[in-house]
Amino acid sequence: MTFLIRQTLIYAVPLMLVALAGVFAERSGIINLALEGIMIFGAFMGVLFVNAVQEAGGFAGAKADGNWLALQGFALLAMLAAAAAGAAFSLLLSFASVNLRADQTIGGTALNLMAPALVLFLIRIIANQNVLNMAKGDAAPWFMLRKTYFGYGRTDSMGFWGETFVNQTYPATYVCILLFIVLSVILYKTRFGLRLRSCGENPQAADSLGINVYKMRYAGTTISGALAGMGGFVYALTTANCSANGDVAGFGFLALAVMIFGNWKPLNIAGAALLFGLFKCVAASYTSIDINGDGICMLEAIGVSAHVYRMMPYVITLVVLAFTSKKSRAPKAEGIPYDKGQR
Amino acid sequence: MKKLTALLLAMAMALSLAACNSNPGAGSSEPPANNSQSGEGIPVGGNESAGPVTDPNAVDDNPSTADGKYEIAMITDVGDLKDKSFNEGTWNGVKLYAANNGKTYKYYRPANGNEATDDDRYNAYVAAIEAGAKVIVAPGFLQATAMRKAAVEHPEVNFVFIDGFPLTERADESDPGDVLTNVAGIAFQEEQCGYLAGYAVVKEGFTKLGFSGGGGGDNPACCRYGYGYVQGANAAAAEMGINVEMRYSWAYGSNFSASPDLQSMMQGWYSSGTEIVFACGGSMFNSISAAAAANDGCVVGVDVDQSTQSDTVVTSAMKGLEQSVTFSLDKQFTGSWADIGGAATSLGAKDDAVGLPTATWSLTKFTVEEYEKLLAGIKDGSVSVDADYANLEQSYSNLTLSVED
Repeated sequence: MTFLIRQTLIYAVPLMLVALAGVFAERSGIINLALEGIMIFGAFMGVLFVNAVQEAGGFAGAKADGNWLALQGFALLAMLAAAAAGAAFSLLLSFASVNLRADQTIGGTALNLMAPALVLFLIRIIANQNVLNMAKGDAAPWFMLRKTYFGYGRTDSMGFWGETFVNQTYPATYVCILLFIVLSVILYKTRFGLRLRSCGENPQAADSLGINVYKMRYAGTTISGALAGMGGFVYALTTANCSANGDVAGFGFLALAVMIFGNWKPLNIAGAALLFGLFKCVAASYTSIDINGDGICMLEAIGVSAHVYRMMPYVITLVVLAFTSKKSRAPKAEGIPYDKGQR
Repeated sequence: MKKLTALLLAMAMALSLAACNSNPGAGSSEPPANNSQSGEGIPVGGNESAGPVTDPNAVDDNPSTADGKYEIAMITDVGDLKDKSFNEGTWNGVKLYAANNGKTYKYYRPANGNEATDDDRYNAYVAAIEAGAKVIVAPGFLQATAMRKAAVEHPEVNFVFIDGFPLTERADESDPGDVLTNVAGIAFQEEQCGYLAGYAVVKEGFTKLGFSGGGGGDNPACCRYGYGYVQGANAAAAEMGINVEMRYSWAYGSNFSASPDLQSMMQGWYSSGTEIVFACGGSMFNSISAAAAANDGCVVGVDVDQSTQSDTVVTSAMKGLEQSVTFSLDKQFTGSWADIGGAATSLGAKDDAVGLPTATWSLTKFTVEEYEKLLAGIKDGSVSVDADYANLEQSYSNLTLSVED
């Protein structure tokens, strides 16, 4: 059970954050298809930051002393670097779709095509490899919480809650969840959020009330880029041993699906991401999941083919969409470049 | 006017982005080839002036010649060239041979990367031959179809088929035609180094083992590694009078690349008690070592010594990729190609082509003397290792094998 929850969170959290990134862009009226590309770029810049700081000898002392708080600070800095890189990368999309009024789908696709190529090109220059790894060690000893940090022995148990939510988790996961909550509140409960959403529904009306639609759309896409960049790095940190190779296994597109699946609403998105993450986790590791702790892995013991489990995440998505898509409603003005003259 | 401003802005943006990218690169401006742990990476530019070159990372990956001709070509099947394992080990052999013998060399990657088809590989062969290749080094079992086509069309070019076998003119088994004398099939007795690794880790005290293989179970080299590993573990357990468990899977490794799914599966293995996993594939190593590091588990590396890549690596089952390439290229350039052309060359313990890296392993209970003794046993045939991996799912005396798909 502990394993299942831990692993589900690892899958679900990047999806959730990047889907929220999509919401911010689309609610402001810009379709952000470039989530995948921004994730790739953010992951790369985050890993590069970690690599460069390690090369320069930063935090080596903290690692040697076992100062895990400092190492978490390091992870947070890398997340910020990735967010900044993602935001900068997304400016290309905002510029094309707000200032140049270009087709947003094509702009996003262009970024998706550009990011992996650019990242691989840079990795080849920097590392002379196809993968950019951490300069020293693995991701877990540097950035993962261990029970030994809290005075427990290696074999001691921290109890159910401790084992599940503290031991062997990445605090980056919780930072993402916190950010998800804060930003969702901002989107729905603040003046800024209302204005942003209005630009995605009826920009002409918003403009007539004195809201600068261009500014709002820039803000939405930039926040979107920052979140997607951060999500990309968290993905790399938690599922790829803090390495970047110009690929995030389609998580950006999955996040788009989760966003539509979640009907552009944060709470639904969180649910959708968790559901999807849970089934992805079951598909990959059903042979090791022991739900009630009796030493028997039930899902394996019932003898269903592995392929059934691997289909599950997608089948479930289709089924849920079939029931919910009637109510699904995209922001009304998304994808339409705002033109002041058109009223 | 407005268009001009927009254009300027777009350019400024593109430039500023480029600048923002190049900065960190320049910040860590160490020589790109800094992956070797040997501190004395003498930057020999691939010339034969400074004595034999031994550090492959000191040799240029992308050499260019004035006339655009390259005598030695290398073409991979799938996976990355720089996978720190199989492809890279072969490539290092090419580079070292070329640097020490003044030959020109070049790497051609088939189009479509991990999804490369036979046509993509064939096109890479043609490109290499057009650029003057006299010998093509082709690591990887998947090359056969494309190589047969290229080798029939170009009898003047020789092909070194690493992890391969001799080819006939036609794939049709009832009418195969003549054996192609310009293809040399070089294979390794991977079951022997798998055996060594399995034996070593059980002697070290591990009782819950795992094997995660690349190639989806169709790759003979990986199958031999795995089967040898099981036999070695069983033999050691029988000597010690204990029982060991082994989880065995080909899932998620079919193109040898790392994936969140593979990592998740390995997390499951480690968190439900598996202590050490044999990571039998190139880039997929990353997923397995990540899971191992998270759970204080251990990893056995493959093909080359992978101990520099992660602290979780206890030892590696190595095969002499560099040596085999040097050996074959030497045959090519000394005019004795007939020795290996059209034949199957299988390198094993007797050729010193398989083994464990005794200098860098972190085994403490299994000693180098024990290792040497076992290796000598394999060499003189007193320890026999079965290579026919069709027998994998048998009942072992001291080992419980659970195969997962």
